[in-house]
Amino acid sequence: MTTTAPAPVAPPTGRTPTEPAPRRHRRRVTPGRMLGWVVLALLMIVTIFPFYWMLRTALSTNAALPGGAADPLPVGFSGEGFRRALGLATAQESLADGGSGASMDFPRYLLNSVVVATLVTVCQVFFSAMAAYAFARLRWPGRDVVYAVFLAGLMVPTIFTLLPNFLLVRDLGLLDTLPGIALPTMLMTPFAVFFLRQFFAGISFEIEEAAKLDGAGRFRTFFTIVLPMASPAVVTLAVLTYITAWNDYLWPLLVSQSDDSRVLTLALGIFRAQSPQASPDWAGLMAATLLAALPMLLLFLAFAKRIVNSIGFTGIK
Amino acid sequence: MSAETSTRPAPPARAARRRSQEVRNLPAALLFVLPAGVGFVVFFLWPTLRGIWLSFTDSTAFNTGGFVGLENYQRMVADPVFWNAFKVTIWYVLLNIGLQTVLAVVVAVLMHRLTQSMAIRGIILTPYLVSNVVAAMLFLMLLDYQLGFVNELAETLGGDRIMFFGDQSLVIPTIALVNVWRHLGYTALLLFAGLQTIPENLYEAGRVDGASEVRMFRSITMPLLRPYLGLVLIVTMIGSFQVFDTVSVATQGGPANASNVIQYYIYQVAFSRGYDFGYASAMSVALLVVLAVIAVVQFRLTRANQNDMA
Amino acid sequence: MRKSVHVAVAGSLVLALGACSSGGGSGSGGSGEEISYWLWDSNQVPAYQACAAAFSEENPDVSVTIEQFAWDDYWTKLTASFVGGSGPDVFVDHLSKYGEFAAQGQIVALDELVEKDSVDTTIYAEGLIDPWRYADGSLYGLPKDWDTTAFFYNEAMVADAGYTADDLWSADWNPEDGGTFEQIVAHLTVDANGVRGDEAGFDKSNVAVYGLGINPNFEETGQMQWANFTGSLDWDYLDENPWGTRYNFDDPEFQKAVDWFYGLADKGYAPAAGVFSEETLTQVGSGKVAMGTNGSWATGTFKALEGIDVGIAPGPVGPTGDRASVFNGVADSISASSKKQDAAWEWVQFLGSSACQDIVAEHAVVFPAIPESADKALAAFEAKGWDVSAFFSYREEGRTFLPPITIRAGEVNAIASVAFEDIALGNKDASSLTEANEQINAVLAD
Repeated sequence: MTTTAPAPVAPPTGRTPTEPAPRRHRRRVTPGRMLGWVVLALLMIVTIFPFYWMLRTALSTNAALPGGAADPLPVGFSGEGFRRALGLATAQESLADGGSGASMDFPRYLLNSVVVATLVTVCQVFFSAMAAYAFARLRWPGRDVVYAVFLAGLMVPTIFTLLPNFLLVRDLGLLDTLPGIALPTMLMTPFAVFFLRQFFAGISFEIEEAAKLDGAGRFRTFFTIVLPMASPAVVTLAVLTYITAWNDYLWPLLVSQSDDSRVLTLALGIFRAQSPQASPDWAGLMAATLLAALPMLLLFLAFAKRIVNSIGFTGIK
Repeated sequence: MSAETSTRPAPPARAARRRSQEVRNLPAALLFVLPAGVGFVVFFLWPTLRGIWLSFTDSTAFNTGGFVGLENYQRMVADPVFWNAFKVTIWYVLLNIGLQTVLAVVVAVLMHRLTQSMAIRGIILTPYLVSNVVAAMLFLMLLDYQLGFVNELAETLGGDRIMFFGDQSLVIPTIALVNVWRHLGYTALLLFAGLQTIPENLYEAGRVDGASEVRMFRSITMPLLRPYLGLVLIVTMIGSFQVFDTVSVATQGGPANASNVIQYYIYQVAFSRGYDFGYASAMSVALLVVLAVIAVVQFRLTRANQNDMA
Repeated sequence: MRKSVHVAVAGSLVLALGACSSGGGSGSGGSGEEISYWLWDSNQVPAYQACAAAFSEENPDVSVTIEQFAWDDYWTKLTASFVGGSGPDVFVDHLSKYGEFAAQGQIVALDELVEKDSVDTTIYAEGLIDPWRYADGSLYGLPKDWDTTAFFYNEAMVADAGYTADDLWSADWNPEDGGTFEQIVAHLTVDANGVRGDEAGFDKSNVAVYGLGINPNFEETGQMQWANFTGSLDWDYLDENPWGTRYNFDDPEFQKAVDWFYGLADKGYAPAAGVFSEETLTQVGSGKVAMGTNGSWATGTFKALEGIDVGIAPGPVGPTGDRASVFNGVADSISASSKKQDAAWEWVQFLGSSACQDIVAEHAVVFPAIPESADKALAAFEAKGWDVSAFFSYREEGRTFLPPITIRAGEVNAIASVAFEDIALGNKDASSLTEANEQINAVLAD
């Protein structure tokens, strides 16, 4: 969201968040560290193995899968799953391979997903940051009460908000549109406000304090000092928000009705069991899932340094 | 919860000055809060109030019903499926959050103490890139008793096949594990962010004193991580109570209600068995109350931790 | 009033969005009327696209947009869209669902329309249209196709066991010892040492191939599990079907049959509950199951299984002297909220006519509701080299029966599915169905 480097403000205590991590001493290989590596390696394998299985299944042929269910290699090796996922196979080819025959306009769904996730992320993080700033850095009458009410929003079960929001989006004429899908989480989520407020409250912005600004000055401070200084937290939140928006299912399922607003997660539905007693198109589903996860992975890698380095929490209140 | 100075008593004159400063801040503050405030009122507050109202009516999905007082709540108290759902959900949350938090701490600490590798951090987050629905389908395939790779492997290694999703006592642990797989990286990253605030020189000092890593974990890492742990616990636990997708895809609440968690049951009542919105709303209110109690308790605990640290 | 609140809210939202919106709206132009049609089975999309094209030729001013959603999502979407008044004009409806839609006024009664256009409703195969008359006597759908269930078997395994297709076709069954059907199933079962289920030394704890697969679909209809057997008893689900108010799950003969059915797993002839999480298509496809129940709709996917030749045999002849199957049909309904009722009705009429059903028949995916069209479908299946006569056999020399149709089907299903699964899991025996039956009857009496 911001490209500015963290502001040259000295944090109050501890090491400077912007400073490179102190050079590690070359440590002796102790049994404890060995064990640590083993545990980490095991967790990595468990984490990554299902992805291998997805790839192996994506490269298999559906009709051969039941016969080779536990075969660690692709059964009936074929790239048809990926062709179906990309919408390159004809309906006839697709049906013949145990696919659904429904059309799959991958680039379009990808674009829809990008639009929705970007809309949600940029707006939600920005507006939530504004609110978090007011809760953390400004003193105003009723602040704590309003914040407590916001926090209570964390506890509202999603099932509660589903239908009223659907009716509202309908009344706004936004059914089957991308803004309709984005809207309910575009302005805030309690988690985003909570997360950023805790963060803002913990950092000492000395320039801001010194300036004792009010009115328009507050906005300038917010944009030029607070957001840049908080950028690691903001980016962490943004990436997590982006992934969450990308993977959302039930809400877009209600709002979207046609290709105009079909996002990737919904498009994956055409690879699921089409009738109650049928099997899913495993190869197509896994291929499409991998393809859908790819942009997220690239996004993460692009921002990884920023997320995991020098997040400057100095305390949670 | 409030900023640090507000809890300290202030001399009367300063208090008055601060009071007027607070009032002067009000317009700017309101502007900052306005967009999020609109979003909150429209998409969280109003639906909640409406839901609470519905819980006192006999509304269906299609028709707004009339006021029926506490009827839905009476029905809820007498509904064995509801109580079962509650029990199942709590069991799920305990397993899911317990395991996930322990593992996330382990992963975060290992990442923090062992390596700066970006690849490892990337890998650990990858499961979160897959939607719940697909994750559930994937594990349904991997863990199938007869055809799943995991069972095939177990047998090859001389073990017994395990009926992960089909056994009434294993289904909830299995679903909990699937979701641990998906959320471990997310949770570990949040905790990792917390770990990075711990000054490295504390560890340096520890090493100079000859403290072991275990010792440093106990006396440096854990105490300083606790506030972050509190934040992460609140957020993940509230999410965990609302487990839905995995159940809906993998087990539909089965076998024989053994995985019929509360949000799935609410959804069933609202959308497929009778479209009974009144009753579904009453159960949602119950869930809301439980979540609120948990959150309040945890906030209290987090604040208590803070005192330990000061 | 609520509307005006929403509009006011809308105003402020638009303001808030203005700062941060990038748009991405939709636009669907075109002249004439456009109606939407929803279905769940993607295999049928090409067939109905062909129908829609033919329909637009006859009615140039109306075009049909087909949207398909997988079964799991279909009903959620439909319910939400009814609530939102944004549903499809016409959609494929299911017997287990339409009752509640009718009760809630979400679908259109067709009687007046049928009368107005003097549509001949007698052209459909016998018994297909009656279940679409709701408890109030009104008609809510025009039948489009039907299905029955049969046993898909691995031809090589059956031949290895020394049986022919004729042996399967002439099998008999009773709830006491399972008849020759159980003998066949036992003989098809092979343990890890190659010992068959009916031979001495058979190790039921180490089965390599199960004689009979069981679908993990626990339902009040039993369609995917026990209905082929219980249907051949002198027994029916309800005191009166459709719209009965008392279930007959407390019948001792029925309970005996249910105990026999789930008891196959105890003998090692069938996988215990939970052994397979997927249905018989995958089970048979894995080579670990010799035979399994499934519906006529699954023929294509069974035939496509790689490395396994699949044959289809009908259910065994039971104590009543008949073989039996659930006879299920789907139909097209019109949403009450549709703003294009006239065009929707034209389309439903067309879907229910032989003009469309013949087109569907050519695609050889389902059996159309009009018998002449169904015959064409049979021929189309045969042209592919698929013998699907087992699905027709019940009509010719046996009994077909309706799945149970009652009000509050969702609640009935919830109670019954747990009750049957409890039996399959060995938590209870079939006598527990008496209690479940009472619960269900209490729901129906409400």
